[in-house]
Amino acid sequence: MERETLEVDVLIVGGGPAGLSAALRLAQLQKEKGGKELSVAVLEKAREVGAHMMSGAVLDPSTLKDLIPDFKEKGAPLASEIHKDHVYFLTRRSKIPFPIIPPPLQNHGNYVISLATFTKWLGEQVEAEGVDLFSGFPGQDILMDGDRVIGVRTGDRGVGKDGERRPNFEPGVDIKAKVTIFCDGVRGNLTKELIGRLRLSQDREPEQYAIGIKELWELPAGRLAPGTVIHTLGYPLKHEEFGGAFIYALPNNQAFVGFVVGLDYRDPLFDPHMNFNRFKQHPFVSKLLAGGQMIRYGAKALPEGGWNTIPRTFMSGGLIAGDAGGFMNSLRLKGVHLAMRTGMLAAETAFDAVHAGDTSASALGAYQRRIDASPVKKELYPVRNVHQAFGFGLLPGLIHAGLVVVTGGWWPGTIKSHPGHERMRKVLEYHGASGSGDVPMPSNETPTDRVLTFDKLTNVHYSGTAHDEDQPVHLLVKTDICHTTCGQEYGYPCVRFCPASVYEMIDDGNNGKKLQINASNCVHCKTCDIMDPYAAITWVPPEGGGGPQYNGM
Amino acid sequence: MILVVAEQCEGRLNRATWETIAGAQALAGGMPIKIVVIGGTTGDVPSDLASADVAEVLVAEHESLEPYTPDGFTMALQTIVEQLSPDFVVLPHTYQTRDFAPSLAARMRKSLVTDVTGVSGVGSSATFSRPMFQGKLSAAVMPQGTAPHFVSFQIGAYRADAVQKGSAPAAVTKLTVALDAAKIRQTPEAPFQEAQQAVDLSQAERIVAIGRGIKAPEHLGIIDTLAKAFGAEVAASRPICDSGWLPMDRQIGSSGQTVTPKLYVALGISGAIQHVVGMKGSQTIVAINKDAEAPIFEVADYGIVGDLFEIVPALVAELEKA
Repeated sequence: MERETLEVDVLIVGGGPAGLSAALRLAQLQKEKGGKELSVAVLEKAREVGAHMMSGAVLDPSTLKDLIPDFKEKGAPLASEIHKDHVYFLTRRSKIPFPIIPPPLQNHGNYVISLATFTKWLGEQVEAEGVDLFSGFPGQDILMDGDRVIGVRTGDRGVGKDGERRPNFEPGVDIKAKVTIFCDGVRGNLTKELIGRLRLSQDREPEQYAIGIKELWELPAGRLAPGTVIHTLGYPLKHEEFGGAFIYALPNNQAFVGFVVGLDYRDPLFDPHMNFNRFKQHPFVSKLLAGGQMIRYGAKALPEGGWNTIPRTFMSGGLIAGDAGGFMNSLRLKGVHLAMRTGMLAAETAFDAVHAGDTSASALGAYQRRIDASPVKKELYPVRNVHQAFGFGLLPGLIHAGLVVVTGGWWPGTIKSHPGHERMRKVLEYHGASGSGDVPMPSNETPTDRVLTFDKLTNVHYSGTAHDEDQPVHLLVKTDICHTTCGQEYGYPCVRFCPASVYEMIDDGNNGKKLQINASNCVHCKTCDIMDPYAAITWVPPEGGGGPQYNGM
Repeated sequence: MILVVAEQCEGRLNRATWETIAGAQALAGGMPIKIVVIGGTTGDVPSDLASADVAEVLVAEHESLEPYTPDGFTMALQTIVEQLSPDFVVLPHTYQTRDFAPSLAARMRKSLVTDVTGVSGVGSSATFSRPMFQGKLSAAVMPQGTAPHFVSFQIGAYRADAVQKGSAPAAVTKLTVALDAAKIRQTPEAPFQEAQQAVDLSQAERIVAIGRGIKAPEHLGIIDTLAKAFGAEVAASRPICDSGWLPMDRQIGSSGQTVTPKLYVALGISGAIQHVVGMKGSQTIVAINKDAEAPIFEVADYGIVGDLFEIVPALVAELEKA
């Protein structure tokens, strides 16, 4: 088949904070340094820039100040400056305030933002510089010439459910570039493939992930002062489970209510969404939310592994930035500023390399040196073992985190860890033979009141997610052991860990069960690609434009 | 003046037109309303519509308007609108309107407010509400620029039976439109066999809808019997169409059709919000479900908690007696 080809100097895959910062930095360098004008293109799978963006989010404005010094004049949508931090340890019925706010959670000078709104604004700044921003186009495949990345193929449009071409079929475009910067986000489909093909994670610790679930609420007037930030540990999580929850107050009586849990839990019957509901049912939280209304829902994985898990981020013709590379500080619960910073550094590296006419792996290795000399390493290196320490439980984790803060990061060597999905235990091992009587049901089957707590399907509606129904399923399950093996051993974990009711075991008409994939419910969180104990699920982008509508999230 | 564009095909009126007239009456605030009927042949449609409390019904027949083409309708309506210079042009938000209205408004460089669910204020100070985020939010829209403003009303936004009828039939006036057939770039083929079979559930007055509670495709028979007894169309929630028990065009909800029949009978449907958004505008909703906690009962006017396999045959027996 003949495909259209587009040639650019620098291709950026992913229009999030990292990709857009890279694009903006390239435009700035062009103005500062002149020379031959570089052509730059940005691909984004969402129909509109920002629509797939979801985070807490508390923004550390340090990178923003460097990238756009006049961000206030340019109307950066920073919803609220943070005025008050609270950290609580929750027990089943009450809350215990931390005696002091741990320094990594002190947010003075930071801002609560809607990442979707912020990214949309960042996209406007990029477009104002004349950069081509192709929204609605996912990067589907990497174009390679041996070990060299030469570009990306975008997804086809108009392929039917059966894989046949529909009348509106449009083949994807081959975009060839001297340097491709991969900013495809946490567990990005292209970065995942690069890591495998080029062994970029050799000698690194396995990446660790978490899933974050969040709702936007409208609260009765005066309930929470804008800029109030609340973090909690403890209930509903067990000692062995890494995670916590947050409530961030926004102006206009709105608030984000969110819950994060490590995707390395052992209990196969654990359901993140159900635990989010339990968090909301805690007296402290339910009182805060009483009389309010949930208006938006979303979920997204987070790269929590830290410095030792970051893959090699440069290769011949390619760079990796942002969440795709795992640049997140899990102790401070922040990554947007690191995504933006690595995007800027990748842009600087690509700019020099293209002008020097050398985009080989060794030339692009300058990216690593830039990272090492930047605030990114300064921030991430000292806390490199923190997430791994929590692998031993909440208390050892907290003690390690405390030591790190006091000593500035001294620790003899690397704390080892396992990929999260390998830690999941089988039902019999974890719950014992008698466990089934007391086994918690997946949250779909837990009664919800549809005021404070919601079933997954109702929540999904509020993510605004939509996909063309007539397209191939974009979650590739390369196994048929779902019922025979995985279900017996792990109790159908996909049904539980998916926060959007994509996976469903239905009656196969033969007294058995079969897997039904409700792909149009998908909110692109990537949890299934990460947490499936058999690693049999691969997330690939659906037809361009499909996915959630995270306005305001 | 408000100009209502009626939708008809070979003398058969699309009943959404009445709803649009009701919408226009809500918007008018004393402004006169005129209705324009265009097509190849319009049959009794103009005289039927003349019963509404409007100033005039205009009829423009032209052989090039049959069958429908977006170019033909855009040209004809542009001429008519320029000739009449109304303040508003209102249309039902049908598939056909969606096809031609954007190009008509763009060609005339006028604003177009689509899928309107309500009007507050009247005349030039009117604000239109239209759904956003799959109906979760409602945006208040004021058209900008010079008149006429184009407005399309969502199906079911106004009730056809709310149209104020006039004391005497309105005058029916013929308009002549000059159309250059050579400028119509589309040559439609004969309607698909499939398209003829496809059901437009939005036109159904009564609907019997089934969900997972039906358990197996063998049980569709008793549903058909009930539907026949009611004179209703059969529809379904997503799982039924996903399993292939009914074709996709019978699916109601956010990924299917949105309907507002007079009677909606939900059998074994739990009432997930994705389904409810597609039927909550029905006039009377009857729900039968085993689970008393099922959310469908929150939107139902009449609810029966029980086994549909017992209740449906009993209903059929009663209906056949009547």
